[in-house]
Amino acid sequence: MADYRDDFIIAIRYALLKKGAKQKFSLFFLIILSISIISLDKFLPKFMAPVRSILNDVVYHTSVVSSQPTVFRKYIVKTSEQHYKLLKKNKFLVSELHYLNQEKFNNVFLKTENEILKEALDLSNNNQFERDFSISARVILDQSSPFLKSILINKGTNSGITKGMAVFSKDYLMGIVIETNYLTSRVLLLTDLNSKIPVVIAESNTNAILEGTGNQQNLRLSYLPATFVMESNKIIFTSGKDGFLSPGIPVAQTYLDKKNKILIKLLGDPDQASIVNVVGGPIKREN
Amino acid sequence: MNYFKLIKEKIFNSLPILLLYFFSFYHFQIPEVGKINFFFFNFQMTLIYFYILKFPDDLGFGNIFLAGIINDTVLGIPLGTTSLSYLTLALFTTYIRNATLRPVMTAEWFTFIPALFFSNLIYLLVINNFSNVSFYYIELLQNTFFTFLFFPIFYYIFSHYQKLISRN
Repeated sequence: MADYRDDFIIAIRYALLKKGAKQKFSLFFLIILSISIISLDKFLPKFMAPVRSILNDVVYHTSVVSSQPTVFRKYIVKTSEQHYKLLKKNKFLVSELHYLNQEKFNNVFLKTENEILKEALDLSNNNQFERDFSISARVILDQSSPFLKSILINKGTNSGITKGMAVFSKDYLMGIVIETNYLTSRVLLLTDLNSKIPVVIAESNTNAILEGTGNQQNLRLSYLPATFVMESNKIIFTSGKDGFLSPGIPVAQTYLDKKNKILIKLLGDPDQASIVNVVGGPIKREN
Repeated sequence: MNYFKLIKEKIFNSLPILLLYFFSFYHFQIPEVGKINFFFFNFQMTLIYFYILKFPDDLGFGNIFLAGIINDTVLGIPLGTTSLSYLTLALFTTYIRNATLRPVMTAEWFTFIPALFFSNLIYLLVINNFSNVSFYYIELLQNTFFTFLFFPIFYYIFSHYQKLISRN
């Protein structure tokens, strides 16, 4: 038994300290170095912040370069799909043209009527929000990991981005800036487990916390009143109670799935976002 | 001509290192098939385990450490977490290599289970104690399972590759 233990200790010591012919560092040294970095990152964040910021900028840009083959593949697939859809649409449009020509006068009337109605309902302008301070940024990396559902954008502190800013894609809230570097920033998506935002459910005036689950088709609402009954097709807005986000931003919507279960889905699609708006100032509703 | 051959040899010998860095910078993911993503596995761990076990001089511990740091930066988790996890895997693998008298693929495949276990345990411990990041435990479990499952495929690919470059 003692011999076995001695052998084990010798083998572990050998593995830790022995360097191979071409190895420059021993495992022991590198493990100690890793532990030191983790400890410094945790206990001396001020010391590590500039180091991390420089490292982030360098690694993110290299990462962007290394992901270019995939970007190119996605571009080819997307272009091919668009081309196929365009062909299909073209055939459909040609067949419809004759019919539409006949209905021309009727359509003009309907269009005019529609415009009048839209104006009456104040739906003519899709841009419901006016931002005091908005920065457009490009999504440079959207790698998902088991730990963080986040994206990287190509604007950082040099463009005035700070932590806590809201990120929009096509007028829908997509996430919040959680890390800023000089040239890049990391955006935590609403789908992430760590994302928790105060919301209010339309027509019921019920407050809750919208939490990410990793799946954009199935978000979770917590801190709901015990008697609250969820209904489908309800829009969920930000309540603004966190002090970061302005109230009244549409975030998610309830819907019925195939099993007739009420679920919550994001209004925006983070996977499709390529250009985003980072908003710093309060958001006002247009009257 | 000799110079060209030397460069070619250098590139072929450095391929594991290049792959390790490439997959640290870029997290390759195949779209999901149904509800489970079958191709969601940790390639770096397979690479480290195989090369430390079979060709330890081809993959330096320093490179493993640096690849881990890059991985942490890309994923946005505490610096040094992946490095420590990879180095734990390397430590366990070195121990297996020293303790094994007659290497057999099946035995090496099954010793990959405790190696992955200890490596992921370190990962979990560091993430839970040194950060506020929440986990997708199921995804991590799935990732570990498929990493283990696909090991024989990569074992043969890497072995075949090493045979090819040693022949040339």
